[in-house]
Amino acid sequence: MSAIRIDDDVQRGTPIRILVDGAPIACFEGETIATAMLAADRLAFRQDTRGAGRGMFCNMGSCCECMVTLVGSGRRVRACLADARDGMEVSTRG
Amino acid sequence: MAEALSFDVAIVGGGPAGQAAAIQLAGHGLSIAVVDEQARPGGQILRQPPRAFRVAHWLAGRSYRALHAQFAAFEALPVTWLGGHSVLDAAPGRLLLHGPDGAVSVTARRILIAAGCQDLAVPIPGWTLPGVYSAGGVQAMVKSQQIVPGARVLLAGTHPLQLVIAEQIVRGGGTVAGVLFAQSRAAMLAPMLRDPAAAFRRATDLLAGQAALATLRRAGVPVRYGVGLTALRGSDWVSEAITTDGTIACDAVGLCYGFVPQSGLPRMLGAEVVQAGPAGGWRCVHDEWMRTSVAGVFAAGETTGVAGAAAAAAGGALAGIGIARDLGSLAPDAAERAAAAPRRVLARHRRFAALLDAIADPRGHFPALEPETLVCRCEDVPHAALCAEVATGASANAIKRATRCGMGLCQGRNCEPSLLRMIAAPDPGFTARFPARPVTIGDLAGD
Ligand SMILES: Cc1cc2nc3c(=O)[nH]c(=O)nc-3n(C[C@H](O)[C@H](O)[C@H](O)COP(=O)(O)OP(=O)(O)OC[C@H]3O[C@@H](n4cnc5c(N)ncnc54)[C@H](O)[C@@H]3O)c2cc1C
Ligand code: FES
Repeated sequence: MSAIRIDDDVQRGTPIRILVDGAPIACFEGETIATAMLAADRLAFRQDTRGAGRGMFCNMGSCCECMVTLVGSGRRVRACLADARDGMEVSTRG
Repeated sequence: MAEALSFDVAIVGGGPAGQAAAIQLAGHGLSIAVVDEQARPGGQILRQPPRAFRVAHWLAGRSYRALHAQFAAFEALPVTWLGGHSVLDAAPGRLLLHGPDGAVSVTARRILIAAGCQDLAVPIPGWTLPGVYSAGGVQAMVKSQQIVPGARVLLAGTHPLQLVIAEQIVRGGGTVAGVLFAQSRAAMLAPMLRDPAAAFRRATDLLAGQAALATLRRAGVPVRYGVGLTALRGSDWVSEAITTDGTIACDAVGLCYGFVPQSGLPRMLGAEVVQAGPAGGWRCVHDEWMRTSVAGVFAAGETTGVAGAAAAAAGGALAGIGIARDLGSLAPDAAERAAAAPRRVLARHRRFAALLDAIADPRGHFPALEPETLVCRCEDVPHAALCAEVATGASANAIKRATRCGMGLCQGRNCEPSLLRMIAAPDPGFTARFPARPVTIGDLAGD
Protein backbone atom coordinates (compact mmCIF):
# COMPACT_ATOMS: atom_id res chain seq x y z
CA MET A 1 0.00 0.00 0.00
CA SER A 2 1.29 3.38 -0.86
CA ALA A 3 2.53 5.93 1.59
CA ILE A 4 0.30 8.92 2.24
CA ARG A 5 1.65 12.45 1.89
CA ILE A 6 0.61 14.63 4.84
CA ASP A 7 -1.22 17.67 3.50
CA ASP A 8 -2.24 19.72 6.52
CA ASP A 9 0.18 22.60 7.06
CA VAL A 10 2.65 21.27 4.49
CA GLN A 11 3.75 23.04 1.35
CA ARG A 12 5.99 20.90 -0.83
CA GLY A 13 8.54 21.92 -3.43
CA THR A 14 7.95 22.18 -7.18
CA PRO A 15 6.34 19.12 -8.77
CA ILE A 16 8.98 17.05 -10.58
CA ARG A 17 9.17 13.64 -12.22
CA ILE A 18 11.62 10.79 -11.97
CA LEU A 19 11.78 7.46 -13.79
CA VAL A 20 12.00 4.26 -11.75
CA ASP A 21 12.76 1.18 -13.86
CA GLY A 22 11.46 3.16 -16.81
CA ALA A 23 8.12 4.11 -15.22
CA PRO A 24 7.45 7.80 -14.61
CA ILE A 25 6.76 8.82 -11.01
CA ALA A 26 5.43 12.20 -10.02
CA CYS A 27 6.96 13.68 -6.89
CA PHE A 28 8.14 16.96 -5.39
CA GLU A 29 11.41 18.80 -5.11
CA GLY A 30 12.89 18.09 -1.67
CA GLU A 31 11.63 14.52 -1.54
CA THR A 32 14.10 11.67 -1.34
CA ILE A 33 14.09 8.96 -3.98
CA ALA A 34 12.75 6.65 -1.27
CA THR A 35 9.76 8.90 -0.54
CA ALA A 36 8.97 9.25 -4.23
CA MET A 37 9.00 5.47 -4.58
CA LEU A 38 6.92 4.73 -1.47
CA ALA A 39 4.31 7.31 -2.42
CA ALA A 40 4.06 5.70 -5.86
CA ASP A 41 3.54 2.25 -4.35
CA ARG A 42 7.00 0.98 -5.31
CA LEU A 43 8.02 -0.65 -2.06
CA ALA A 44 10.69 -2.98 -3.46
CA PHE A 45 14.14 -1.41 -3.81
CA ARG A 46 15.86 -4.61 -4.91
CA GLN A 47 15.40 -8.36 -5.14
CA ASP A 48 17.23 -10.65 -2.73
CA THR A 49 19.03 -13.91 -3.53
CA ARG A 50 15.73 -15.78 -3.17
CA GLY A 51 14.03 -13.53 -5.69
CA ALA A 52 11.94 -11.80 -3.04
CA GLY A 53 11.34 -8.06 -3.22
CA ARG A 54 13.10 -6.15 -0.45
CA GLY A 55 12.12 -2.82 0.98
CA MET A 56 13.98 -0.08 2.77
CA PHE A 57 14.30 -0.43 6.54
CA CYS A 58 15.99 2.29 8.63
CA ASN A 59 15.36 5.47 6.63
CA MET A 60 18.45 7.06 8.17
CA GLY A 61 21.35 5.85 6.05
CA SER A 62 22.60 3.03 8.22
CA CYS A 63 21.04 -0.23 6.96
CA CYS A 64 21.85 0.21 3.24
CA GLU A 65 18.68 -1.71 2.28
CA CYS A 66 17.54 1.10 -0.01
CA MET A 67 20.49 1.12 -2.44
CA VAL A 68 19.41 1.89 -5.99
CA THR A 69 21.38 2.67 -9.15
CA LEU A 70 21.29 6.03 -10.91
CA VAL A 71 21.02 5.25 -14.60
CA GLY A 72 23.62 7.14 -16.59
CA SER A 73 26.27 7.64 -13.95
CA GLY A 74 25.88 4.08 -12.66
CA ARG A 75 26.26 5.48 -9.16
CA ARG A 76 24.78 3.42 -6.32
CA VAL A 77 23.04 5.62 -3.77
CA ARG A 78 21.00 5.12 -0.63
CA ALA A 79 17.52 6.17 -1.74
CA CYS A 80 16.63 7.39 1.77
CA LEU A 81 19.45 9.96 1.66
CA ALA A 82 19.44 10.95 -2.02
CA ASP A 83 17.17 13.72 -3.29
CA ALA A 84 14.89 13.06 -6.25
CA ARG A 85 15.82 15.42 -9.11
CA ASP A 86 13.68 16.22 -12.09
CA GLY A 87 14.30 13.77 -14.92
CA MET A 88 16.46 11.46 -12.79
CA GLU A 89 16.45 7.81 -13.87
CA VAL A 90 16.64 5.15 -11.17
CA SER A 91 17.00 1.39 -11.48
CA THR A 92 16.20 -1.17 -8.79
CA ARG A 93 17.74 -3.92 -10.88
CA GLY A 94 21.40 -3.18 -10.10
CA MET B 1 40.69 12.94 -4.80
CA ALA B 2 40.69 16.66 -4.07
CA GLU B 3 43.25 18.12 -1.64
CA ALA B 4 42.51 17.57 2.05
CA LEU B 5 40.37 20.14 3.85
CA SER B 6 41.98 21.19 7.09
CA PHE B 7 40.33 22.32 10.35
CA ASP B 8 41.13 22.69 14.02
CA VAL B 9 38.13 20.57 14.95
CA ALA B 10 36.04 18.12 12.92
CA ILE B 11 32.72 17.07 14.43
CA VAL B 12 30.92 14.01 13.09
CA GLY B 13 27.18 14.42 13.61
CA GLY B 14 24.93 17.47 13.43
CA GLY B 15 22.51 16.24 16.08
CA PRO B 16 21.99 17.75 19.54
CA ALA B 17 25.47 16.59 20.67
CA GLY B 18 27.43 17.87 17.67
CA GLN B 19 25.55 21.17 17.70
CA ALA B 20 26.17 21.73 21.42
CA ALA B 21 29.89 21.06 20.95
CA ALA B 22 30.12 23.51 18.04
CA ILE B 23 28.32 26.17 20.07
CA GLN B 24 30.85 25.80 22.91
CA LEU B 25 33.78 25.90 20.50
CA ALA B 26 32.61 29.05 18.71
CA GLY B 27 34.22 32.35 19.59
CA HIS B 28 37.67 30.90 20.23
CA GLY B 29 38.97 31.56 16.73
CA LEU B 30 39.03 27.85 15.88
CA SER B 31 38.06 26.53 12.47
CA ILE B 32 35.31 23.95 12.82
CA ALA B 33 33.75 21.50 10.37
CA VAL B 34 30.56 19.56 11.09
CA VAL B 35 29.96 16.49 8.94
CA ASP B 36 26.61 14.75 8.60
CA GLU B 37 25.19 12.44 5.98
CA GLN B 38 21.82 14.11 6.34
CA ALA B 39 21.48 17.24 4.23
CA ARG B 40 20.56 19.47 7.16
CA PRO B 41 21.58 19.56 10.82
CA GLY B 42 19.16 18.37 13.51
CA GLY B 43 20.13 14.74 14.03
CA GLN B 44 17.56 12.00 14.41
CA ILE B 45 15.35 13.75 16.92
CA LEU B 46 15.06 16.97 14.91
CA ARG B 47 15.08 15.52 11.41
CA GLN B 48 14.50 18.67 9.38
CA PRO B 49 12.06 18.82 6.50
CA PRO B 50 13.78 19.53 3.17
CA ARG B 51 14.59 23.17 2.41
CA ALA B 52 12.10 23.06 -0.45
CA PHE B 53 9.23 22.34 2.00
CA ARG B 54 7.29 24.75 4.20
CA VAL B 55 5.87 23.01 7.25
CA ALA B 56 3.82 25.10 9.66
CA HIS B 57 3.92 24.19 13.38
CA TRP B 58 6.74 21.70 12.82
CA LEU B 59 7.45 19.71 16.04
CA ALA B 60 5.79 22.42 18.10
CA GLY B 61 5.46 20.30 21.27
CA ARG B 62 7.07 21.48 24.51
CA SER B 63 9.67 18.73 24.56
CA TYR B 64 11.20 20.06 21.32
CA ARG B 65 11.52 23.71 22.43
CA ALA B 66 15.10 23.61 23.73
CA LEU B 67 16.17 21.70 20.62
CA HIS B 68 14.72 24.36 18.31
CA ALA B 69 16.60 27.07 20.22
CA GLN B 70 19.87 25.15 20.01
CA PHE B 71 19.33 24.51 16.30
CA ALA B 72 18.83 28.25 15.66
CA ALA B 73 22.01 29.07 17.60
CA PHE B 74 23.92 26.44 15.62
CA GLU B 75 22.67 27.70 12.26
CA ALA B 76 24.02 31.16 13.10
CA LEU B 77 27.57 29.87 13.74
CA PRO B 78 30.44 30.35 11.31
CA VAL B 79 31.15 26.61 10.98
CA THR B 80 31.77 24.70 7.76
CA TRP B 81 28.69 22.53 7.35
CA LEU B 82 29.49 19.39 5.36
CA GLY B 83 25.94 18.03 5.01
CA GLY B 84 25.28 15.14 2.67
CA HIS B 85 28.73 13.72 3.47
CA SER B 86 29.21 10.28 5.01
CA VAL B 87 32.29 9.46 7.04
CA LEU B 88 33.79 6.30 5.54
CA ASP B 89 36.94 6.06 7.58
CA ALA B 90 38.37 7.66 10.69
CA ALA B 91 41.88 7.78 12.14
CA PRO B 92 43.33 10.17 14.71
CA GLY B 93 43.58 13.56 12.99
CA ARG B 94 41.94 12.39 9.79
CA LEU B 95 38.54 11.58 8.32
CA LEU B 96 37.67 10.26 4.91
CA LEU B 97 34.29 11.46 3.65
CA HIS B 98 32.11 10.63 0.73
CA GLY B 99 29.82 13.30 -0.67
CA PRO B 100 28.00 14.28 -3.83
CA ASP B 101 31.32 14.98 -5.57
CA GLY B 102 33.12 11.83 -4.48
CA ALA B 103 35.67 11.29 -1.73
CA VAL B 104 36.97 14.14 0.44
CA SER B 105 39.77 13.93 2.96
CA VAL B 106 39.62 16.06 6.11
CA THR B 107 42.39 16.62 8.60
CA ALA B 108 41.73 18.08 12.04
CA ARG B 109 43.68 18.61 15.26
CA ARG B 110 40.79 17.20 17.26
CA ILE B 111 37.96 14.92 16.17
CA LEU B 112 34.62 14.56 17.93
CA ILE B 113 32.44 11.56 17.15
CA ALA B 114 28.80 12.38 17.88
CA ALA B 115 27.25 9.89 15.48
CA GLY B 116 24.11 9.14 17.51
CA CYS B 117 22.27 5.87 17.64
CA GLN B 118 20.10 3.64 15.49
CA ASP B 119 17.12 1.39 16.09
CA LEU B 120 18.03 -2.05 17.38
CA ALA B 121 17.25 -4.32 14.42
CA VAL B 122 15.19 -7.24 15.72
CA PRO B 123 14.64 -10.12 13.31
CA ILE B 124 11.22 -11.69 13.21
CA PRO B 125 9.74 -14.10 10.68
CA GLY B 126 8.65 -11.98 7.71
CA TRP B 127 10.62 -8.87 8.65
CA THR B 128 12.27 -8.63 5.25
CA LEU B 129 8.91 -8.01 3.55
CA PRO B 130 8.66 -4.53 2.04
CA GLY B 131 6.64 -2.31 4.37
CA VAL B 132 8.45 -3.42 7.52
CA TYR B 133 10.59 -0.62 8.96
CA SER B 134 12.42 0.36 12.07
CA ALA B 135 10.12 2.56 14.14
CA GLY B 136 12.59 5.43 14.15
CA GLY B 137 12.65 5.22 10.38
CA VAL B 138 8.86 5.52 10.26
CA GLN B 139 9.02 8.52 12.55
CA ALA B 140 11.65 10.17 10.40
CA MET B 141 9.34 9.78 7.38
CA VAL B 142 6.61 11.62 9.26
CA LYS B 143 8.84 14.35 10.69
CA SER B 144 11.07 15.07 7.75
CA GLN B 145 9.50 13.93 4.49
CA GLN B 146 5.96 14.43 5.80
CA ILE B 147 4.67 11.05 4.70
CA VAL B 148 2.95 8.22 6.55
CA PRO B 149 4.27 4.94 5.15
CA GLY B 150 0.92 3.15 4.81
CA ALA B 151 -2.82 3.28 5.31
CA ARG B 152 -2.67 1.19 8.51
CA VAL B 153 0.58 1.36 10.42
CA LEU B 154 1.28 -1.09 13.22
CA LEU B 155 3.86 -0.30 15.89
CA ALA B 156 5.22 -3.15 17.96
CA GLY B 157 8.04 -3.81 20.38
CA THR B 158 8.92 -2.78 23.89
CA HIS B 159 9.97 0.89 23.74
CA PRO B 160 7.69 3.70 25.02
CA LEU B 161 8.81 5.89 22.08
CA GLN B 162 6.19 3.98 20.07
CA LEU B 163 3.51 6.04 21.77
CA VAL B 164 5.07 9.30 20.58
CA ILE B 165 5.50 7.93 17.05
CA ALA B 166 1.91 6.68 16.94
CA GLU B 167 0.68 10.09 18.09
CA GLN B 168 2.69 11.84 15.38
CA ILE B 169 1.19 9.53 12.76
CA VAL B 170 -2.35 10.21 14.01
CA ARG B 171 -1.69 13.98 14.03
CA GLY B 172 -0.41 13.67 10.47
CA GLY B 173 -3.77 12.22 9.47
CA GLY B 174 -2.60 8.60 9.32
CA THR B 175 -4.21 5.53 10.83
CA VAL B 176 -2.42 3.42 13.42
CA ALA B 177 -3.60 -0.20 13.41
CA GLY B 178 -2.31 -0.67 16.92
CA VAL B 179 0.52 -0.14 19.37
CA LEU B 180 1.73 -3.37 20.93
CA PHE B 181 3.97 -3.63 23.95
CA ALA B 182 5.33 -7.13 24.41
CA GLN B 183 5.78 -6.56 28.13
CA SER B 184 2.98 -6.18 30.66
CA ARG B 185 1.88 -2.82 31.99
CA ALA B 186 3.07 -3.80 35.46
CA ALA B 187 6.54 -4.56 34.09
CA MET B 188 6.67 -1.07 32.57
CA LEU B 189 5.59 0.65 35.77
CA ALA B 190 7.82 -1.28 38.19
CA PRO B 191 11.10 0.52 37.35
CA MET B 192 9.45 3.92 37.88
CA LEU B 193 8.33 2.87 41.33
CA ARG B 194 11.88 1.74 42.10
CA ASP B 195 13.36 5.17 41.24
CA PRO B 196 10.53 7.70 41.54
CA ALA B 197 12.98 10.62 41.88
CA ALA B 198 14.55 9.95 38.48
CA ALA B 199 11.10 9.52 36.97
CA PHE B 200 9.85 12.73 38.53
CA ARG B 201 12.78 14.80 37.21
CA ARG B 202 11.89 13.87 33.67
CA ALA B 203 8.21 14.55 34.16
CA THR B 204 7.92 16.29 30.76
CA ASP B 205 8.79 13.07 28.98
CA LEU B 206 6.41 11.04 31.07
CA LEU B 207 3.68 13.63 30.49
CA ALA B 208 4.40 13.53 26.76
CA GLY B 209 3.75 9.80 26.96
CA GLN B 210 0.49 10.43 28.83
CA ALA B 211 -0.62 13.06 26.32
CA ALA B 212 0.19 10.68 23.47
CA LEU B 213 -1.91 7.98 25.13
CA ALA B 214 -4.86 10.37 25.42
CA THR B 215 -4.60 11.33 21.73
CA LEU B 216 -4.43 7.67 20.73
CA ARG B 217 -7.44 6.82 22.88
CA ARG B 218 -9.47 9.60 21.23
CA ALA B 219 -8.44 8.33 17.80
CA GLY B 220 -9.55 4.82 18.76
CA VAL B 221 -6.05 3.34 18.42
CA PRO B 222 -5.71 0.10 20.37
CA VAL B 223 -2.74 0.24 22.75
CA ARG B 224 -2.08 -3.20 24.18
CA TYR B 225 0.34 -4.56 26.75
CA GLY B 226 1.66 -8.09 27.04
CA VAL B 227 1.06 -8.71 23.34
CA GLY B 228 4.12 -9.76 21.35
CA LEU B 229 4.70 -10.03 17.62
CA THR B 230 5.12 -13.59 16.37
CA ALA B 231 5.43 -13.13 12.60
CA LEU B 232 4.72 -10.75 9.73
CA ARG B 233 3.03 -12.09 6.63
CA GLY B 234 2.24 -10.91 3.13
CA SER B 235 3.10 -11.61 -0.49
CA ASP B 236 4.57 -8.53 -2.17
CA TRP B 237 4.49 -6.48 1.01
CA VAL B 238 3.42 -6.91 4.61
CA SER B 239 -0.34 -7.35 4.99
CA GLU B 240 -0.81 -8.84 8.42
CA ALA B 241 0.87 -9.29 11.74
CA ILE B 242 0.51 -12.48 13.75
CA THR B 243 0.63 -11.67 17.45
CA THR B 244 0.44 -13.71 20.65
CA ASP B 245 -3.19 -12.56 20.76
CA GLY B 246 -4.59 -12.77 17.25
CA THR B 247 -3.93 -11.36 13.79
CA ILE B 248 -3.88 -7.66 12.89
CA ALA B 249 -4.30 -6.37 9.32
CA CYS B 250 -1.75 -3.67 8.44
CA ASP B 251 0.30 -2.46 5.48
CA ALA B 252 3.27 -0.95 7.30
CA VAL B 253 5.02 -1.99 10.49
CA GLY B 254 7.45 -0.10 12.73
CA LEU B 255 9.57 -2.34 14.97
CA CYS B 256 10.49 -0.61 18.23
CA TYR B 257 12.62 -2.65 20.63
CA GLY B 258 15.11 0.05 21.57
CA PHE B 259 18.16 1.89 20.30
CA VAL B 260 21.86 1.13 20.12
CA PRO B 261 24.78 3.56 19.74
CA GLN B 262 26.37 3.89 16.31
CA SER B 263 29.72 2.47 17.29
CA GLY B 264 31.39 1.82 13.93
CA LEU B 265 33.57 4.93 13.87
CA PRO B 266 34.88 4.70 17.46
CA ARG B 267 35.64 1.03 16.90
CA MET B 268 37.48 1.79 13.66
CA LEU B 269 39.52 4.36 15.53
CA GLY B 270 40.44 1.72 18.09
CA ALA B 271 38.64 3.59 20.87
CA GLU B 272 37.58 1.52 23.87
CA VAL B 273 33.91 0.52 23.88
CA VAL B 274 31.82 -1.48 26.36
CA GLN B 275 28.45 -3.20 26.13
CA ALA B 276 25.81 -0.52 25.87
CA GLY B 277 22.72 -1.80 27.65
CA PRO B 278 19.99 -4.39 27.62
CA ALA B 279 19.19 -3.78 23.95
CA GLY B 280 22.73 -4.70 22.86
CA GLY B 281 25.35 -2.65 21.04
CA TRP B 282 28.52 -0.88 22.15
CA ARG B 283 29.03 2.52 23.71
CA CYS B 284 32.24 4.51 23.58
CA VAL B 285 34.06 4.99 26.88
CA HIS B 286 35.14 8.54 27.82
CA ASP B 287 36.77 10.50 30.64
CA GLU B 288 35.55 13.65 32.43
CA TRP B 289 36.23 15.78 29.30
CA MET B 290 34.63 13.30 26.87
CA ARG B 291 38.05 12.18 25.64
CA THR B 292 38.09 8.62 24.28
CA SER B 293 40.96 6.21 24.85
CA VAL B 294 42.52 7.45 21.56
CA ALA B 295 44.56 10.67 21.76
CA GLY B 296 42.87 13.63 20.05
CA VAL B 297 39.54 11.84 19.65
CA PHE B 298 36.48 12.83 21.66
CA ALA B 299 33.01 11.27 21.77
CA ALA B 300 29.62 12.64 22.82
CA GLY B 301 25.92 12.05 22.49
CA GLU B 302 24.48 8.62 21.93
CA THR B 303 27.80 7.29 20.66
CA THR B 304 28.55 7.23 24.41
CA GLY B 305 25.23 5.59 25.38
CA VAL B 306 21.59 6.14 24.48
CA ALA B 307 20.18 8.63 26.97
CA GLY B 308 18.03 11.05 24.95
CA ALA B 309 18.56 14.43 23.36
CA ALA B 310 19.09 16.44 26.56
CA ALA B 311 21.88 14.12 27.68
CA ALA B 312 23.35 14.21 24.16
CA ALA B 313 23.41 18.01 24.22
CA ALA B 314 25.01 18.09 27.68
CA GLY B 315 27.69 15.60 26.63
CA GLY B 316 28.29 17.57 23.44
CA ALA B 317 28.72 20.82 25.38
CA LEU B 318 31.17 19.11 27.70
CA ALA B 319 33.13 17.76 24.72
CA GLY B 320 33.25 21.27 23.22
CA ILE B 321 34.61 22.67 26.47
CA GLY B 322 37.08 19.77 26.71
CA ILE B 323 38.37 20.33 23.19
CA ALA B 324 38.75 24.10 23.70
CA ARG B 325 40.72 23.34 26.88
CA ASP B 326 42.86 20.77 25.10
CA LEU B 327 43.69 23.20 22.30
CA GLY B 328 44.65 25.90 24.80
CA SER B 329 41.71 28.13 23.91
CA LEU B 330 40.21 27.86 27.37
CA ALA B 331 42.15 28.08 30.66
CA PRO B 332 41.83 24.96 32.83
CA ASP B 333 40.02 26.76 35.65
CA ALA B 334 37.57 28.43 33.24
CA ALA B 335 36.95 25.05 31.62
CA GLU B 336 36.33 23.48 35.01
CA ARG B 337 33.74 26.16 35.83
CA ALA B 338 32.04 25.83 32.45
CA ALA B 339 31.94 22.03 32.75
CA ALA B 340 30.08 21.90 36.06
CA ALA B 341 26.57 22.44 34.70
CA PRO B 342 26.72 20.05 31.72
CA ARG B 343 28.29 17.37 33.94
CA ARG B 344 25.38 17.64 36.37
CA VAL B 345 22.80 17.51 33.58
CA LEU B 346 24.51 14.53 31.97
CA ALA B 347 24.54 12.55 35.23
CA ARG B 348 20.88 13.33 35.88
CA HIS B 349 19.77 12.26 32.42
CA ARG B 350 21.84 9.11 32.50
CA ARG B 351 19.96 8.11 35.63
CA PHE B 352 16.69 8.56 33.77
CA ALA B 353 18.12 6.63 30.83
CA ALA B 354 18.81 3.68 33.11
CA LEU B 355 15.16 3.83 34.13
CA LEU B 356 14.00 3.96 30.52
CA ASP B 357 16.28 1.02 29.70
CA ALA B 358 14.56 -0.99 32.42
CA ILE B 359 11.09 0.02 31.21
CA ALA B 360 11.88 -0.85 27.59
CA ASP B 361 14.08 -3.91 28.27
CA PRO B 362 13.61 -6.13 25.20
CA ARG B 363 15.25 -9.23 26.71
CA GLY B 364 12.71 -11.98 27.11
CA HIS B 365 10.57 -10.43 24.35
CA PHE B 366 12.58 -11.15 21.21
CA PRO B 367 10.40 -13.03 18.72
CA ALA B 368 11.27 -16.69 18.07
CA LEU B 369 12.82 -17.18 14.63
CA GLU B 370 12.04 -19.73 11.95
CA PRO B 371 15.04 -21.60 10.47
CA GLU B 372 14.78 -19.58 7.24
CA THR B 373 14.30 -16.15 8.88
CA LEU B 374 17.09 -13.92 7.55
CA VAL B 375 19.14 -12.52 10.40
CA CYS B 376 21.72 -10.80 8.18
CA ARG B 377 19.65 -8.77 5.72
CA CYS B 378 22.56 -7.71 3.49
CA GLU B 379 23.95 -11.17 2.79
CA ASP B 380 20.70 -13.18 3.21
CA VAL B 381 22.03 -15.38 6.01
CA PRO B 382 19.24 -17.40 7.63
CA HIS B 383 18.89 -18.19 11.31
CA ALA B 384 19.53 -21.93 10.81
CA ALA B 385 22.97 -21.31 9.25
CA LEU B 386 23.95 -19.16 12.23
CA CYS B 387 22.65 -21.72 14.76
CA ALA B 388 24.88 -24.34 13.16
CA GLU B 389 27.97 -22.13 13.44
CA VAL B 390 27.20 -20.90 16.94
CA ALA B 391 26.93 -24.54 18.07
CA THR B 392 30.60 -25.06 17.12
CA GLY B 393 31.60 -22.40 19.66
CA ALA B 394 32.92 -20.03 16.96
CA SER B 395 33.43 -16.30 17.59
CA ALA B 396 31.45 -13.59 15.78
CA ASN B 397 34.39 -12.90 13.46
CA ALA B 398 34.77 -16.60 12.64
CA ILE B 399 31.03 -16.89 11.96
CA LYS B 400 31.32 -13.85 9.71
CA ARG B 401 33.99 -15.58 7.62
CA ALA B 402 32.07 -18.85 7.52
CA THR B 403 28.60 -17.49 6.67
CA ARG B 404 29.14 -13.90 5.37
CA CYS B 405 26.88 -12.67 8.21
CA GLY B 406 27.96 -9.06 8.81
CA MET B 407 30.01 -8.85 5.63
CA GLY B 408 27.51 -6.82 3.62
CA LEU B 409 26.97 -3.14 2.98
CA CYS B 410 25.73 -2.32 6.49
CA GLN B 411 28.93 -3.74 8.02
CA GLY B 412 27.02 -5.76 10.59
CA ARG B 413 25.07 -2.86 12.05
CA ASN B 414 21.80 -4.81 11.70
CA CYS B 415 22.85 -8.35 12.53
CA GLU B 416 25.62 -8.01 15.11
CA PRO B 417 23.37 -7.63 18.18
CA SER B 418 21.28 -10.65 17.10
CA LEU B 419 24.36 -12.79 16.53
CA LEU B 420 25.93 -11.78 19.85
CA ARG B 421 22.71 -12.76 21.65
CA MET B 422 23.02 -16.20 20.08
CA ILE B 423 26.65 -16.47 21.22
CA ALA B 424 26.14 -16.68 24.93
CA ALA B 425 29.85 -16.23 25.80
CA PRO B 426 31.42 -12.74 25.91
CA ASP B 427 32.55 -11.80 22.39
CA PRO B 428 34.11 -8.57 21.11
CA GLY B 429 31.86 -8.68 18.04
CA PHE B 430 32.85 -7.97 14.46
CA THR B 431 36.06 -6.05 13.81
CA ALA B 432 34.94 -2.65 12.47
CA ARG B 433 36.33 -2.19 9.00
CA PHE B 434 36.55 0.42 6.27
CA PRO B 435 34.24 1.66 4.74
CA ALA B 436 31.68 2.61 7.39
CA ARG B 437 29.24 3.46 4.60
CA PRO B 438 28.97 2.05 1.06
CA VAL B 439 31.19 3.64 -1.60
CA THR B 440 32.27 2.68 -5.09
CA ILE B 441 35.91 2.03 -5.93
CA GLY B 442 35.61 4.65 -8.68
CA ASP B 443 34.70 7.35 -6.18
CA LEU B 444 37.67 6.45 -4.01
CA ALA B 445 40.01 6.53 -6.95
CA GLY B 446 38.65 9.95 -7.87
CA ASP B 447 37.32 8.93 -11.30
C1 LIG C 1 15.54 7.19 13.73
C2 LIG C 1 15.58 7.71 15.13
C3 LIG C 1 14.55 8.55 15.61
C4 LIG C 1 14.59 9.06 16.91
N1 LIG C 1 13.56 9.86 17.37
C5 LIG C 1 13.57 10.30 18.65
C6 LIG C 1 12.49 11.08 19.19
O1 LIG C 1 11.53 11.38 18.50
N2 LIG C 1 12.53 11.47 20.47
C7 LIG C 1 13.58 11.17 21.27
O2 LIG C 1 13.58 11.55 22.43
N3 LIG C 1 14.63 10.47 20.79
C8 LIG C 1 14.63 10.01 19.52
N4 LIG C 1 15.67 9.25 19.05
C9 LIG C 1 16.86 9.12 19.91
C10 LIG C 1 17.70 10.34 19.43
O3 LIG C 1 18.54 9.94 18.40
C11 LIG C 1 18.47 11.07 20.42
O4 LIG C 1 17.81 11.35 21.59
C12 LIG C 1 19.21 12.33 19.90
O5 LIG C 1 18.90 12.67 18.59
C13 LIG C 1 20.66 12.02 20.06
O6 LIG C 1 21.45 13.05 19.66
P1 LIG C 1 22.91 12.80 19.10
O7 LIG C 1 23.44 14.14 18.80
O8 LIG C 1 23.65 11.93 20.02
O9 LIG C 1 22.70 11.94 17.79
P2 LIG C 1 21.82 12.19 16.47
O10 LIG C 1 20.76 13.15 16.69
O11 LIG C 1 21.45 10.83 16.00
O12 LIG C 1 22.87 12.80 15.46
C14 LIG C 1 23.92 12.04 14.92
C15 LIG C 1 24.14 12.45 13.49
O13 LIG C 1 25.32 11.81 13.03
C16 LIG C 1 25.15 11.50 11.68
N5 LIG C 1 26.05 10.39 11.36
C17 LIG C 1 26.14 9.16 11.96
N6 LIG C 1 27.09 8.42 11.37
C18 LIG C 1 27.61 9.17 10.36
C19 LIG C 1 28.62 8.94 9.38
N7 LIG C 1 29.31 7.80 9.30
N8 LIG C 1 28.89 9.94 8.51
C20 LIG C 1 28.21 11.13 8.57
N9 LIG C 1 27.25 11.39 9.47
C21 LIG C 1 26.96 10.42 10.35
C22 LIG C 1 23.69 11.13 11.53
O14 LIG C 1 23.25 11.36 10.22
C23 LIG C 1 23.02 12.02 12.56
O15 LIG C 1 22.43 13.16 11.99
C24 LIG C 1 15.67 8.73 17.75
C25 LIG C 1 16.68 7.88 17.28
C26 LIG C 1 16.65 7.37 15.98
C27 LIG C 1 17.76 6.48 15.52
S1 FES D 1 16.73 2.65 4.41
FE1 FES D 1 18.46 2.16 5.59
S2 FES D 1 20.02 3.15 4.47
FE2 FES D 1 18.25 3.80 3.47
